[in-house]
Amino acid sequence: MDPKLDLLYRLADDQLILGHRNSEWNGLGPILEEDIAFSSMAQDKLGHSLQLYTLLHQLGETEPDTVAFTRNADQFHCCQLVELPIGEYDFSLTRHFLFDHAELLRFEALAGSSYEPLAQVARKLRGELKYHALHANTWMKRLGTATDEAIERMQRSLDFTLPYALGIFEKTDAEAEIISSGLFVGEDELRGRWLESISKVLSQTALQVPDVLSLTPVFGGREGQHTEFLQPLLDEMAEVFRLDPTADW
Amino acid sequence: MINSHDPRMNRLGLPDAPEAPAAKGALDQFGTYEVFHQKKEGAPFVYVGPVHAPEADVAFLFAKEQYSRRFACTGMWVVPTAAITVTAYVGDQESAYDTLPLLPKSSAPAAGLADDTAAAEAAYAAGEEDYDIFHLKKRGKAHQHVGKVRASSPADALQVAKGVFGELRPVANVWAVRAADFLRSEDEDRDIWTTTPEKKYRDAISYKVQDRIEKFKAENPQSH
Amino acid sequence: MYGSASTHDLPTSAATGLENEDPILLAEFEARIGRGEKIEPGDWMPALYRKQLTRMIEQHAHSEIIGSLPEGTWITRAPGFRRKMAQMAKVQDEVGHAQLLYSAAETLGKTREQMLIDLINGKSKYSNVFNYPTPTWADSNVISWLIDAGAIVNQLANAKGSYGPYCRALDRICAEEAFHLKYGHDAVVHMATGTPIQRKMMQEALNRWWPAIMTFFGPSDKMSVHTEILMRWKVKMASNDECRNQFLDMYVPKIWEIGLTLPDANLRKNEETGVWEFTEPDWEDFKRVINGDGPCNAERIAVRRAAEENGAWVRRALLTPKTQYVRPLA
Repeated sequence: MDPKLDLLYRLADDQLILGHRNSEWNGLGPILEEDIAFSSMAQDKLGHSLQLYTLLHQLGETEPDTVAFTRNADQFHCCQLVELPIGEYDFSLTRHFLFDHAELLRFEALAGSSYEPLAQVARKLRGELKYHALHANTWMKRLGTATDEAIERMQRSLDFTLPYALGIFEKTDAEAEIISSGLFVGEDELRGRWLESISKVLSQTALQVPDVLSLTPVFGGREGQHTEFLQPLLDEMAEVFRLDPTADW
Repeated sequence: MINSHDPRMNRLGLPDAPEAPAAKGALDQFGTYEVFHQKKEGAPFVYVGPVHAPEADVAFLFAKEQYSRRFACTGMWVVPTAAITVTAYVGDQESAYDTLPLLPKSSAPAAGLADDTAAAEAAYAAGEEDYDIFHLKKRGKAHQHVGKVRASSPADALQVAKGVFGELRPVANVWAVRAADFLRSEDEDRDIWTTTPEKKYRDAISYKVQDRIEKFKAENPQSH
Repeated sequence: MYGSASTHDLPTSAATGLENEDPILLAEFEARIGRGEKIEPGDWMPALYRKQLTRMIEQHAHSEIIGSLPEGTWITRAPGFRRKMAQMAKVQDEVGHAQLLYSAAETLGKTREQMLIDLINGKSKYSNVFNYPTPTWADSNVISWLIDAGAIVNQLANAKGSYGPYCRALDRICAEEAFHLKYGHDAVVHMATGTPIQRKMMQEALNRWWPAIMTFFGPSDKMSVHTEILMRWKVKMASNDECRNQFLDMYVPKIWEIGLTLPDANLRKNEETGVWEFTEPDWEDFKRVINGDGPCNAERIAVRRAAEENGAWVRRALLTPKTQYVRPLA
C-alpha cells in the first residue's frame, strides 16, 4: 500500500474503534463527572478519526462514512488493543493510559511530518491530547497508589494489557518508506519514547512494571487479523447505517 | 437476565430480579470543589458550579469537561468548597459589606495590594496572604472575581475588601478565598481549549434543516 | 429532560406546616419573592419550600440521568459520523445536566449520594416517559426532538423561578439544550423526508411515543392549598395544561409540515380559544407505569444500580479523609 494510506488507515482505524469502545461507558461511569470527561475523550477520538478519513478521502479513498461504516473486520488496520471489550473500569483506564501516551507522542512526531496536511492536523490536536494524557496520568497515579483493591486491579489490567499495547507499534511493509520519506519517525522510535513516557508515570505508583521489551507483542491487527470482538463491534456500529444504504441519515 | 434494546446493557448482564442493594454505612461521597471559568482572555473569572472530587487535580479534570466542554474558555480555577468564606446574603439593592462587623477606625485596614514592595514584603513576612474576592451582583446570577487583597485571615480579607471594593454597589454576597487554596490552569496549558469552538457537531447553529423542509413541502403540497 | 413539578404527588392533606414558621421571617421571605429577588442557599426559607424544591430538583436530576438511557440505547449504532458524535454529545449532556441539578439540590441539604441511593432503591420518581423503550433509531430521534422540546418549555418556565441555584443550573442547561432541539429536529426531518424505509420507521416511532408525550407535562393540576402556595413562592411557574398547550402550539405544526401524522383524530387547535383539543391521555395507565409497572422501569433502575455497584471500587479507592464533604455553596 502507498505509505501515506498505510499510515493514515492505521491511525484512523485505531481512533475510530477506541472512540467507539469508550463511548460505551457513557451513562455507566463510576462518577458522574468522570462519565462526562470520558465521553468527551471518546468524542475527540471519533473526531480525530474523521479528520484522518477526510485526509484519506482527499487522497482518493471513499468518503469517511462509507469507509467507517461499510468495511468488514479483515479490512480494518487497527491494533487489537482497541477492539477489546470495555471490561471493567480498570481495564478501560489502563488501555486509555497506554494508548493515549502513544497517541500523544505519535502526533507530536507527526507535527513535523513531510506530509503537511497530516502535520497540520497533528499540530491542531496538541492541546486536546494534552488533556487526555493529563487525565490518564492523574487516574493512573491515583489508583496506582490507592487501596490494595485498586492497586491489585490496576496491576492485573496492566499485565493483561501491555502485550496488546505493544501491538500498537506493529510495523507494516511500508515502514521503511514511511521513515525514509519523512512521513513519520517510525514505530520503533515511537515505542522507545512511549516506554520512557509510561515508565515515568508508572514509577510514581505502587505498580510493578515488567520488562516490557521481553513481552510478546500481540500483532496482526495492522494486517487485518483481529480478535473475535471486532466484527460484532462493526456489525453493531453499522446496524442502522446498513438498513438502507441509499439513505441520508 | 433483562433483555434490553441497548446492546451495552445486554453485555452488562443485568439480573431480572436483583437483590436489594446492601445498605451503606456512612456516606462515602467525595468532597466538593467550586469551579470558576474565564470565557475569554482578560475577562473576570466567573463561578460556574461545583464538582465532586477527592483532590484538586481530579477536580480540575472533572471541571474542565463539565463546565468548559461546550463553550469557549481560556482559564479555569478550582477550590475546595470549605475554603470559601461567605458573607450574609443581602437584598439586590444593598451591599453585603454593610453586614460585616464594624471595626474601630484606627484598626481599619487601609488598602489592598497596591502597597509599595517593601511594605508588602514585610506584611507577607508577618503572615499575611493574598485572598481572591468574588462579588455576587444580583441574586440568581453568578459570583464574579473582582480582585485580590492581602490580609491576615478570611475575616480580615473581607474587611480589607470592603475598603477596596466596597464602592461597587450593589453586592448581594461576597466570597473571600485564600489565593493559595486554588488550583489554577497555567497559561501555557490554555491550548487544552483551542479546539472547543471547532466541535460543531454539538453546536445548534450547525443544524440547518429548513431547506430540506421547504423542498419536501414543495414536492408534497398535499401534506398539512 | 423533565416534565413538570408534578402537583399530583403533593401531599393530599391540606397541612402546610406554615403555622409553625416564624411569621416575620415568612413575611420577609415572601416579600423578597414578591420583589422578584431570588432566594439563595444562605437565606432563611420555610420547611415546605425546602422540601418541595428538593423533591422537584432531585426528580429533575433523576430524569436527566435516567433520561440518558433511552437515547444511550443507540449510542453505539448511530448512523454516520455526524450522528454518532452528536448522539454521544447529547447523551453526555444529559449526564452533565444531572450533575448540575444534583448540585443545585445539594445546596438545600440533601447529599448527592443520598439522592442516588434513593433513586436505585426506587424511592424517588423521575419523568415517566423514560420508562418506555426505544426499539429503533427513530424512537431515539423522537426523544431528541420532542421530549427535549417539552423539557425546554418546562425548563424555560422554571428558570424564572425563585431559587437561585436552580435558576443558574437551568440557564446553563437551556443553553446546552439549544443543540439538542436542533439536532433532534434535524434527525427527524432527515428521516421523515428520506427514503420509504426511513419514513416508515419514523412514523411508527412517533405513533409509539405520542401517547407518552401527551402525558409528559402531567395531568391537569389539582388546585389545592399547596399548588397556590408553590405558585406564590415561584416554585411552580406554569400549570401543566399551559405547558402542554404551549408545546402543542409550537411543535404540532412542525410535525405536520414534514408529512408525519399524529395518532389522535381529535387533535386540533380551537382557533377561537387558542387552546388545543385532544383525546384525554390514559392517566390510569400513566399511574400504573409511574408506580413501577412500565415496560422499562426495572431495566432503568437495574442499569443505574449496576453503574453504582461497578463503580464502587473506584470511589472507595479515591476517597480521602483530606477533603470533607460540605454542602456546595451556590
